[in-house]
Amino acid sequence: MSIEIRLPTALRVFADKQDKIEVDAKTVGAALDQMFGRHDRLKAQLLGPDGKLRSFVNVYVNEDDARDKQGLNTPVKDGDTVLIVPAIAGGSTVAEVELDKAELIRYNRHIILPEVGLEGQKKLKSSAVLCIGAGGLGSPLALYLAAAGVGRIGIVDFDVVDASNLQRQILHDTPSVGTPKLQSAKKRLQALNPHVQVETYEERLTSANAVELFRKYDVIADGTDNFPTRYLVNDACVLTGKPNAYGSIFRFEGQLAVFGAKDGPCYRCLYPEPPPPGLVPSCAEGGVLGVLPGVIGTMQAIETIKLILGIGRPLVGRLMLYDALEQSWRTLKVKRNPACPVCGDNPTIKAPIDYEAFCGLKEKPANMIPEISVEELKAKLDKKESFVLLDVREQHEYDIARIPGSKLIPLGELDKRVQELDKKSKLIVHCKMGGRSARAVQFLRAQGYDATNVAGGIHDWSEKIDPSVPLY
Amino acid sequence: MSLKVKAGLKDLVKATCEKAYPEEGCGLLLGPVPDDFDKQGRVVVADEARPLPNGWDSSSKTNRYLIDPRMLAKVEAELSGSGRAVVGFFHSHPNHPAWPSPFDLMMAWPCLSYWIVRVQDGKLSDSRSWQRTEDSRSFIEEEILEA
Repeated sequence: MSIEIRLPTALRVFADKQDKIEVDAKTVGAALDQMFGRHDRLKAQLLGPDGKLRSFVNVYVNEDDARDKQGLNTPVKDGDTVLIVPAIAGGSTVAEVELDKAELIRYNRHIILPEVGLEGQKKLKSSAVLCIGAGGLGSPLALYLAAAGVGRIGIVDFDVVDASNLQRQILHDTPSVGTPKLQSAKKRLQALNPHVQVETYEERLTSANAVELFRKYDVIADGTDNFPTRYLVNDACVLTGKPNAYGSIFRFEGQLAVFGAKDGPCYRCLYPEPPPPGLVPSCAEGGVLGVLPGVIGTMQAIETIKLILGIGRPLVGRLMLYDALEQSWRTLKVKRNPACPVCGDNPTIKAPIDYEAFCGLKEKPANMIPEISVEELKAKLDKKESFVLLDVREQHEYDIARIPGSKLIPLGELDKRVQELDKKSKLIVHCKMGGRSARAVQFLRAQGYDATNVAGGIHDWSEKIDPSVPLY
Repeated sequence: MSLKVKAGLKDLVKATCEKAYPEEGCGLLLGPVPDDFDKQGRVVVADEARPLPNGWDSSSKTNRYLIDPRMLAKVEAELSGSGRAVVGFFHSHPNHPAWPSPFDLMMAWPCLSYWIVRVQDGKLSDSRSWQRTEDSRSFIEEEILEA
């Protein structure tokens, strides 16, 4: 009787094509030594320059991994089988990033933290985060992620900088009013840290594009201000298995959590149903303390970085509530709901749904007011029909793009300036997409005006009728 | 030097790795044991692919793969004496080139074929096979022939 060492196919050529070698020894180490004595080429394959087994070599004694026993000192007896098994591993180059001298200096205060270190900084560099929105929350979030050296930062936003944004959206500045938010965001982030890549998506996040987009990123940070997008982000995160560093703000209060993490709850576990439309006003309607998104967005950046580095205790299963007036934080436990339609045990939502309908936004008054398409508007203009084309967008939007012959009264000024309009003339009202004008039409009809809405607004006009009108 | 793959095998590799996206997909390539396994210019025939779960912990499956050594040992034992063996491995690089990474090199075994496919945004976009040199310093690309 003796001990049998079995070799994997790839190594047999180094042992005269034998698949097993018989030796006499008391320990695994001694057994291997005997084998190396006979087959020198084998030694070079299995041992590193330090004379130790290479990390990808597994040695089993019968059924057990020698590492779990006494390693090379594991005793063996006659009749035992020593199995050499390759650990077959590998992977793409993602984690093989290097930091150049300038980066080592820039990230020094991270690198000297044992919890981050060089490894952690490389992890940050090879990671990718998608920020939903370049507004109040997205501003500090993206700025800190860029400063921290997150290698790829994606931002989805299709808005234009408005002067009213500057009270809190610190990515943008006064000269950028009227220009796309992504333009000023990219410029600012690249100036802050040219070592990071900023990827911009000037489009609306939709059920059609979210899943594909999320797949390209490691962490999604939701900084949206509306319920349909919030549910879409949540569902797409669960469906793609990406954690969502979530934050939201309202007036003086903020919320913070990590949703969609493995075994953790999602936003739907906390809020299965959206509030009825109109119950929770947006920041545009309800106002917000400008510094508040600075607090919450920064906390989202902290959670995002913790998730990337795998350090600390991520905010999974906990919801933090911040009250700026009280200057207090409260933490609530949130459990994963086994009956959750998206992350539960038997999910019914397997692809993004229609979130406008889910949030009850399809039953808006627009359906009950007269509406025409941009094609119909064009026909009326061509026929020189008599009507007033009323534009209810803001002055800066009007400066970017307008339909010739239109009269501008921003929606916010409409109640004060309504007397400028003649009740005898027919009004056709448009805005950018058709939402604000629908509200204007509702208001005007209540005042006794003959008003009609233009579906799709100047956006549709530019796309379908006159491409010389800029899309913004 | 080449890897000759049986018809239909590439479809299985493609389906496995596209399904695994954005994580890395992986598996074994089986075939007859070549006589000249360690020689430059050898031809390896793979007539079977066995997809295996990616055994790396969930934190890095998008850029790492691991084949459970026990599973590998089981297949080797099953094929022992049959003249067939594990002749290589396949794995995917999601959104990264189908070139071996430094980590692939560090972990690579000699003789075997390392078939790497690039899966870009969920779709296979490149496919290359490699053999490690005996001095373990580099990989040499080999031709993939479809039988």
